[in-house]
Amino acid sequence: MSLSPHAVEEIKELPTRFPAQSRSAVMPALDIAQEELGYLTPELIKEVAGLLDLDSGYVEGVATFYSLFHHKPVGKHRFYMCTNLSCSLRGAEDLVKHALDQVDVSTTDEVSPDGLFSVEEVECLGACEFAPMMRLDHKFEYDLTTEKLDALIAARRDSQPKKKKASHG
Amino acid sequence: MAELRGDFGPGPDRVLTEHFGKDGLDTLAGYQKVGGYEGWKKALTTMTPSEVIDEVRTSGLRGRGGAGFPTATKWSFIPKEPGTKYIVCNADESEPGTSKDRYLLENSPHALVEGIAIACYAIGAHQGWIYIRGEYDLQYQMLQRAIDEARKAKLIGPSPFGSKYAVDIQLYRGHGAYICGEETALLESLEGKRAQPRSRPPFPAIKGAWGRPTALNNVETLITVSWILAHGGAAYAKFGTEKSKGTRLFSVSGNVQRPGVYEMEFGRPFRELIEGKAGGALPGRKLKAFWPGGSSAPVLPADMLDTPTDLESLAAAGSMGGSGGVIVMDDSHCMVKAAARLLQFYAHESCGKCTPCRVGGNWAVRTYARILSGQGSDVDLGLLDRVQAGLQGGRCLCGLGDAAGWVIESSMNRFRQEYEEHALHNNCSVEQGALAHA
Repeated sequence: MSLSPHAVEEIKELPTRFPAQSRSAVMPALDIAQEELGYLTPELIKEVAGLLDLDSGYVEGVATFYSLFHHKPVGKHRFYMCTNLSCSLRGAEDLVKHALDQVDVSTTDEVSPDGLFSVEEVECLGACEFAPMMRLDHKFEYDLTTEKLDALIAARRDSQPKKKKASHG
Repeated sequence: MAELRGDFGPGPDRVLTEHFGKDGLDTLAGYQKVGGYEGWKKALTTMTPSEVIDEVRTSGLRGRGGAGFPTATKWSFIPKEPGTKYIVCNADESEPGTSKDRYLLENSPHALVEGIAIACYAIGAHQGWIYIRGEYDLQYQMLQRAIDEARKAKLIGPSPFGSKYAVDIQLYRGHGAYICGEETALLESLEGKRAQPRSRPPFPAIKGAWGRPTALNNVETLITVSWILAHGGAAYAKFGTEKSKGTRLFSVSGNVQRPGVYEMEFGRPFRELIEGKAGGALPGRKLKAFWPGGSSAPVLPADMLDTPTDLESLAAAGSMGGSGGVIVMDDSHCMVKAAARLLQFYAHESCGKCTPCRVGGNWAVRTYARILSGQGSDVDLGLLDRVQAGLQGGRCLCGLGDAAGWVIESSMNRFRQEYEEHALHNNCSVEQGALAHA
């Protein structure tokens, strides 16, 4: 998988936003690259490095420092669930277990069998008055309960195009 | 319109939140209807940059990011010689328990645009940057829209209010790293590098973003600057105590009836905030402890609820004002588990540059795991004591390690009995009590 022509164009334009000779374009460029698959592969990192005229080891160093860059496949919908203190005082840990169960994975490293979901425990997301909370599809979800999680999961399953059932002769 | 939980609207000590909850406050028209951009207009068209700094000095404003450094003094460190300089707004809010910058951005993004423009003028900068954490998607969009609106209305850009003082603002998105709240790590990140703090000197005022003089200010600080320029430094200084002037936003979370973001004058007691505004403990529960300024501020027992909120009183009580994030815990929760969770956080977020922090945090995590799994002993308690001492004392380039040490030290000092129950007797009377109660 390599970058789409559109992504290449976008990345090439980034450096003009920053002072000359700076490396500041590297993170926005990695964002664009990550959009392609949902995670970064060594090939994508190399391509970004080439476009920005940077060493690919350097770009990999940046990409592996920050937790919003992923290096393994992720679900189409990713649960970023806060389990820091304000949320765990209000039951976040049980909610993580519930979410893992409901999307049918056993750890936060897996993607659900249907490819739709993955669950990640994250650090404080800065919406503590709404604890327990999480970020899902670029949106914050507040006052989580098991019922609310079930509804969010069901809505995403329902919006999937239905697959034809395999016929058995 | 953002979802609001807290208090807002007119009130005796509502400075920043007075107009919150009004329809359209996040738009240019709505913000101007309540006097928005008047402070910037006044600064740019009737004051010199040093008069702007003097006005902020009169207000007594101190940084709201955590360190409480006087804002005017920080600005006065920027060299006067011409040349490229920057204002960088730290919108990387990530101190556990802190949500007030998010609350401000959602309600009044233009107030930040205005504050940055004023700050740029004060230090002679023509470019402001907002470094915003990557998880703040909605807030990023709202800020981008506010910047676009302000540019279009010629409030920022090549000639704001017809003047010759060009000011522009750009957004830069973070990518999930607590360390970026530390100012030199933030600068490294803004420059496209791994976010590892720099050694100082040189300080950012001399050599900051891309090697140029830079002042870094928190979101709440800069929004307060907008208010100060519109209403005067003296009006602001009427609020608060002698050394902690003004109001601040407290984000109250955890085991209270009404978690929320509350604005309060410095110097009134935490009891008023936690038991009054936030409604106190849940029915049948008792408050046990509170972290008064984010998880990095040493924890205080509930019998210290009468401690005043000003920075000096908190220092005297053995804690700190920090970020204004107030985390409240009740008697159904175990302090050892809470401290263990926080240490996981500090160990995970250590950037790895300085040995005491990189090694000490993980050492503590493993020790807590032993204690909580029933494998602990008095040796582990001694070990935690040595680790917390090793994490502290300015041995590292930034304060992350110190904060991790404070969590261990303060929770052990204040709640020693719970540590001994776990480590020596594999017992947790807190959770047993909570179970019996339930």
